[in-house]
Amino acid sequence: MSGRNGHGKNSMALKVRINGETREWAISPGDLLLDVLRREGYFGVKRACETGECGCCTVLLNEKPVNSCVVFAAQANGCEITTVEAIAHGDTLDPVQQAFLDHGAAQCGFCTPGMILNTKALLKEHPHAGEEEVREMLAGNFCRCTGFKKPVEAVLAISQNGPRHCEKTPAEDRHLVVGHSLQKTDGVKLVTGRPCFTDDVHMPDMLIGKILPSPHAHARIKRIDVSKARALPGVHAVLTYKDVPRVPHTTAGQSWPEPSPYDTYLLDSKVRFVGDRVAAVAAESRAIAEEALRLIKVEYEVLPAILDMEQATKPGAPVIHDEPDSTGIHDARHNVAAFIKKELGNVDQAFRQADVVVEREFHTHRQHHAMMEPHVSIAWLDEDGRLTIRTSTQVPFHSRRQVAMILQLPVQKVRIIKPRIGGGFGGKQEMLLEDITGALALAARRPVKIEYTREEEFYMARSRHPQILKVKIGAKRDGTIVANQMSVLATTGAYGSHSATVQGNTGSKVLPLYRAPNMKFDCTVVYTNCPVAGAFRGYGCPQGFFAQESVVDEIAHELGMDPIELRRKNLIRLGDIDELSAQLGEGRKGLPRHIRSCGMPGCLERGADAIGWESKRKSLPGKSTHLRRGIGVSCCIQGSAIAGVDWGAAHLKMNEDGSFNLQLGAADLGTGADTVIAQIAAETLGVTLDKMIVYSGDTDFTPFDVGAYASSTTIISGGAAKKAAEKVRAQIVDVAARMLEVAPDKVNLGNNEAFTVCECRKAVSMADVARHAMYKDKVQIMDGASHWNTDSPPPFCATFAEVEVDTETGKVRVVELVSAVDCGVAINPMAAEGQVEGAVAQGIGYALTEEMLLDETGRMINPNFLDYKVLSAKDMPKLTTILVETEEPLGPYGAKSISEVPINGPTPAIANAIYHAIGIRFRQLPIRPEMVLKALHEQSKQRAAVARKPVGRRTRKAAASD
Amino acid sequence: LQFSSGLSVTRRLENAVFDHIQAFYQPKSVREAVRMLQSGPGRVLGGGTDLALLQDRSIRFLVDIKHLGLDYIRRDGNGCDIGAACTMSALEHSPVVRGLAGGILSRAAATCGSIQIRNLATIGGNLANGSPAADTATPLLAMDASVIVQTRRGRQRIALREFLALPLPRRINGGLLVQIFAPKSKGRAGWSFQKFGRTETDIAVVNVAAGLGIARDGSCAWARIALGAVAPAPMRADGAEAVLVGKALTRSLIDRAAESVAREIQPITDQRASAEYRRQISQVLVRRALLACAQEAGYAL
Repeated sequence: MSGRNGHGKNSMALKVRINGETREWAISPGDLLLDVLRREGYFGVKRACETGECGCCTVLLNEKPVNSCVVFAAQANGCEITTVEAIAHGDTLDPVQQAFLDHGAAQCGFCTPGMILNTKALLKEHPHAGEEEVREMLAGNFCRCTGFKKPVEAVLAISQNGPRHCEKTPAEDRHLVVGHSLQKTDGVKLVTGRPCFTDDVHMPDMLIGKILPSPHAHARIKRIDVSKARALPGVHAVLTYKDVPRVPHTTAGQSWPEPSPYDTYLLDSKVRFVGDRVAAVAAESRAIAEEALRLIKVEYEVLPAILDMEQATKPGAPVIHDEPDSTGIHDARHNVAAFIKKELGNVDQAFRQADVVVEREFHTHRQHHAMMEPHVSIAWLDEDGRLTIRTSTQVPFHSRRQVAMILQLPVQKVRIIKPRIGGGFGGKQEMLLEDITGALALAARRPVKIEYTREEEFYMARSRHPQILKVKIGAKRDGTIVANQMSVLATTGAYGSHSATVQGNTGSKVLPLYRAPNMKFDCTVVYTNCPVAGAFRGYGCPQGFFAQESVVDEIAHELGMDPIELRRKNLIRLGDIDELSAQLGEGRKGLPRHIRSCGMPGCLERGADAIGWESKRKSLPGKSTHLRRGIGVSCCIQGSAIAGVDWGAAHLKMNEDGSFNLQLGAADLGTGADTVIAQIAAETLGVTLDKMIVYSGDTDFTPFDVGAYASSTTIISGGAAKKAAEKVRAQIVDVAARMLEVAPDKVNLGNNEAFTVCECRKAVSMADVARHAMYKDKVQIMDGASHWNTDSPPPFCATFAEVEVDTETGKVRVVELVSAVDCGVAINPMAAEGQVEGAVAQGIGYALTEEMLLDETGRMINPNFLDYKVLSAKDMPKLTTILVETEEPLGPYGAKSISEVPINGPTPAIANAIYHAIGIRFRQLPIRPEMVLKALHEQSKQRAAVARKPVGRRTRKAAASD
Repeated sequence: LQFSSGLSVTRRLENAVFDHIQAFYQPKSVREAVRMLQSGPGRVLGGGTDLALLQDRSIRFLVDIKHLGLDYIRRDGNGCDIGAACTMSALEHSPVVRGLAGGILSRAAATCGSIQIRNLATIGGNLANGSPAADTATPLLAMDASVIVQTRRGRQRIALREFLALPLPRRINGGLLVQIFAPKSKGRAGWSFQKFGRTETDIAVVNVAAGLGIARDGSCAWARIALGAVAPAPMRADGAEAVLVGKALTRSLIDRAAESVAREIQPITDQRASAEYRRQISQVLVRRALLACAQEAGYAL
């Protein structure tokens, strides 16, 4: 069903030996092997790029790894094929699979089958492969979650008997489950390639949906003729704006009422970016659906487009949202989606009193999430006629509310199921396909699937907001920062999803890092006819910290201070109250942030030691060769959930063998959230992690949760699980006390037992307690709880980068990167490290290589992994992750967040390291080799000009002989 | 001059299905394959790594050449014969190819995509269908390679340089590219392959292959400089070679040759780099390549 082709009239037979069994399938001559294998139920073979770049579809063809997306199925005739499904030996995992679990090498697990097959092939030829060979091999497997550190370690554990590098944190000694680097609860199904992702199902009669994208950046649909498409045999639904309700909404998956403007429509008579929806079809195959799109005739009135955000508010600029029914737009007539302005103290006065003031402008670009699993939704009407949507989302409950509103159904009639997710990074904090897939399913009365191709993912999904930031910081001669001002112009693209809140975060999460008594932040978020921006790990902070940390470094240089020393002097610290956060809430007034835990001093100290700051900073980078080295530092913070807004709930039910069903609204998108929350619950209940059966993110069977965003899951959903577990624990203690004939306060739980704490040392097993409750008391031990916080405790991070600049080509290579992070108590240190390493990989990509490029018509010219350059295993530097433990009073077992904060650090640390290496500051991203080389040429011209100035005979002579 | 140095940058959004392909042939002999190819709008299928991305809906059938016994690598008295269906992996690991011209063809093949791609992609496909950035074309050009094309009338040998001047997909008289001949270098020589990409696993922004022959008197006996991704097809820098030949090798002579290269190439601006930057990088890579050649030939500069 998931194939590109149905069985056409030119059907041919394909005979293969697959996973040890002989199979014969009818295929079409143009079928690709990937499609045939998935059609035949080998779901471990993943569809991710379809251009042979990413390796998620890897299979072994005659024992050699190949990308099945670029192999025609007929080529495999007579061949032997191995997929991940055949790697385990019955119920026993292969050592490679086990190593991946032990080392935390699988996060979302979408790329894991390909990695495991590639590893098997490598180890067969080179059983003792070293790190270089392993990285060369893994270069064919893109992974957006791990930064490749743990996968490389997992393979080396086998080939070189390498050790498990995993920080042991103090919490491990205090607790039985929390603080331990345990395997993911969903790990086995990921490493064995079990069908657990959205698209890993065969639905009877399922249709394939496709969206006709706009070829124009800005146009009105004058006429649209779908009659030929409708008449095409095999087409079951064609929708245009004429066929669907017109309900203004935002696609941003945020708590109601959303702080994003309602400026989007299921389908509209106007298109506002290249890739915007024009029409949608559902047909019996992908080929028919694509043919139907080709048959839709559209006449456009092409309108002038705005591609440059600095032109958006100019007089006479075309108005992108001229429709009367959109709401919540700050100033639609001037293309301003959102505007924020806040001041604490008086910055102007403070700048006058400062000894040094540095003011700089920074330009940041469009980065794409490039999660391995593209957006995909499958919608159908269940046997009760309820619209059920199995979808790759971070926000199942928000999606339910949004879909119900857009399709004008009662919430009761909509169910959202979130299976395993192949990465999201904020890109899936968006109701992107659920509405249109649902509309097609309702129209066709058959199940419909829409799955973005990689190209569509780039064109149609979301990206990081490009910003122009003006930062001005003033300090006293002793280094005390007295004023910090940031002014941001950003573009949200054609729709205002997350427009106010991302940019609000640029202020509220960045400026308060330093204790300046005077702060000012303003931002203008404008519409342009560009791809739509949205939520992306860091949520406005990578841009802000790049600018702020570069300026702070410059001030240190101006004052002749060590950059670490200047930061130490000014950093926010324990007991401080950040008032700016209160001013800059999520589109509304927020709450002040109290710093109740702060590991930043430890992060700076341990990070500096790890990279060898003192010695490397002093020893001058080599001037003799064309390779120059430098090191740089940056500090950053984030939040742990949106204070006063984010909340979640958990439910626990005890089974008669002493196991527990843990039902979570939380949306694990590959981060390990299910595992971490289960560890919190298990610790509270005194049971081992294997007793937890986790089910999450299903609007029918789990309680509410806002979803996975804003670094909220551990602290909020984990907090809810802890509360629920405490309630259930009380029920267990009550039953056990009666069984043990002691008072409840004499009963403790641990190691799957209830035992007395008095001298008698009696114990009953959890299973006995459950059976007693169920069959004697006739009571189901169960309970649920909700949780929210009035504050958003920041995790702290210090990032250190060492770079090498090739002064002949301008290429920057990151040699080493150290992240020291305070996430409170790491519930699962291995998972926490994985979050850091993946964030760092995306951060380095943001700094150096990843960029969505638009041509002069607004069309992206690199919508594929050939030219959108994410970093591979071979590109990654030596990574060191240090967890600096603190105890956060507001977090479950002292935990704060970790998923976002480490992405903020690499870019400024790299920029500062480049300055240390070659004396040039880069204020535009990404720092491309071409830019570096140009700047180096200008630098040498300037130096020559300075040397030529008639200062004295000697100088001139020296210059001439240089 | 309108061309892109890689995949088409403006692929249509909607087309991702190969339902227009009505037949898949697996001929048993080269003659049969040639006959099929002349029978209509078909395409040669080597590894498939390029073809499976091709958005050309006029193609009606595919001719798989993997079963024609064209995956050999044979040492020849004067060099090496390579079957057109040899994969990049085979070239990468073949002791014969590694021993040829300083192993630059092996090294170039090893940079051609990931292991999964190198297990599929063929040298024939890389030459017949490859972009201006094709990684094996550059070293083979520097080695003065030739290709053999089988047509209905028989086998025809032409210089690779001429073959690469053909429009894509490169075919001669409806024939099939069956073999590549890579000559071995004579006398005291050094070779180098240099590639510049945005990341470690990138298509070349620029690639350079070079060879230098050192005469008895220590002067440059011959020079070969080939570049990829800087012109409509992989090219030789004749002017730069002329700068070197017959002269005593010095750093400044090498600099002059590199400067000549920057004048000879015709790079474009695309999503990977600007023309100006390609020019600068070409000069740097050529200089590095020539220095490495001299060093490999044991010539102290």
